[in-house]
Amino acid sequence: MAAVNAALEELAKQYAIALREYCRGGGEAALLRAYQLGRQAVSAGVGVLEMAGFHQEALVSALPEMLALEESARIARRASEFFAECLAPFELTRRGFEEAHAALRELNQGLERRLSAALQDFESAQDELLEQKRMESLKNDFISVISHEVRTPLTSIHGALNLLKSGLGGELNPQGQRLLDAAYRNSQRLVRLVNDLLDLQRIESGTMTFNLRPVDLRSLLEQAIEASQAHAGQLGIKLVLQGAPPGARVRVDSDRMMQVMTNLLSNAAKFSPQGETVVVEANRRTGGVRVGVTDHGPGVPEEFHGRIFQKFAQAASSDRGGSGLGLSITKAIVEHMSGHVGFESEPGRTTFYFDLPEWRRTVSREKAAANTWPAGR
Amino acid sequence: MARRTLKRILLVEDDPDIQTVTSMALGSFGGYTVHVCGSAAEAIESAAEFLPDLILLDVMMPGMDGVDTLRALRDIPETASTPVIFLTARVQPADVAKYKELDSLAVIRKPFEPTVLVETIQDIWTRYRGEAH
Repeated sequence: MAAVNAALEELAKQYAIALREYCRGGGEAALLRAYQLGRQAVSAGVGVLEMAGFHQEALVSALPEMLALEESARIARRASEFFAECLAPFELTRRGFEEAHAALRELNQGLERRLSAALQDFESAQDELLEQKRMESLKNDFISVISHEVRTPLTSIHGALNLLKSGLGGELNPQGQRLLDAAYRNSQRLVRLVNDLLDLQRIESGTMTFNLRPVDLRSLLEQAIEASQAHAGQLGIKLVLQGAPPGARVRVDSDRMMQVMTNLLSNAAKFSPQGETVVVEANRRTGGVRVGVTDHGPGVPEEFHGRIFQKFAQAASSDRGGSGLGLSITKAIVEHMSGHVGFESEPGRTTFYFDLPEWRRTVSREKAAANTWPAGR
Repeated sequence: MARRTLKRILLVEDDPDIQTVTSMALGSFGGYTVHVCGSAAEAIESAAEFLPDLILLDVMMPGMDGVDTLRALRDIPETASTPVIFLTARVQPADVAKYKELDSLAVIRKPFEPTVLVETIQDIWTRYRGEAH
């Protein structure tokens, strides 16, 4: 009996071994062997429950190994995948949040940088503005000093020279006369400079008043030529009005326009060779009129073209007694009257011109008629 | 009411050199009788006696300036309506606006050409007389 039991037990052991082999991946052969051993054991009298026990024992002993091997890795992988899948949206959200946070931080830093730069710019602009105001105030003080303190002694000097030149002090010998002429010429230059500075300050501070009225262009030009004729005559220059469009009118301040024309005519006469003629010509152009003053002087040097209308701009070759402010004032006045100044120059011929809108009374009447009712009455 | 012709001018000016130049020009080219005062006080004192047809008044003077001098002269019956021309270097727009508000005929800007001063004053006088009649 003991031998039978031992044989049965051996069969059962063999069955369990075969079954474990199968579980460990032994394949069909191991399964078939386990199956045959199981049948032998059952045939030899091993009970079903005992076989179930063997079976269970084989599984239990194989399972940890099985799990530890590829199955456990598979399960672990699967579990990991499962968790990864479950966590994926959260991960995405977390990453998105991190990215958004980083972007926001960067944006904030950018904004802070920009704000800081803007603040710095603002502070510099404020400093600059304060500095500009300080300079403006200094300039006004300076102009004021010139206006009051320089003008008073200049009144005596210029006045005395003017009276001497008129012959009030008696006749001078030729040398004395030359000296007097030089002194008078230069005092005139100083008077012009002081007056120009004052005008410029008025223009820049917006305190120059403009009394705009429609005026006949031809009459204005004739008056301007008449007013400058004596000065030009002293230089041996003739001023001529060559043409002006009939009936053309411009809306300007007559006194300021006279100042503009005096400046242009004086410059043209100064730079003309003696015996030459300065020609004033006005033409209609689209929407306006152009007045040109042409001389036959040496022309404006090329390198001076870009800054000719700037303050204190005078060509290096020029020593004609100007303040260097005349053209700058001319430009400011013309622009204040909705005009534009310019020049064309070549050796032997220079034209300074200004364009102004033409004042058309008929347009106003038409507009007025269009606004009445019934129409045209 | 203005007289028919301009003969007597009271010049109120503190700068002696400008006094010389101006009075010489007015006397030589205009033939006017010119009385020169170097201060507001002098002008106020002599105006009633001199009885000017026209007063040329500087603005910047030590003590009482030209604007206050004009007000003081208006309080004197003899010069209450005597025409006044300011002769000044103070010709900033705000200054000119102030002179216009005051009872003055015109402003002549310094420096001026003495040889054309008489002509300028005559023009102003003629315009004034035209308006006065």
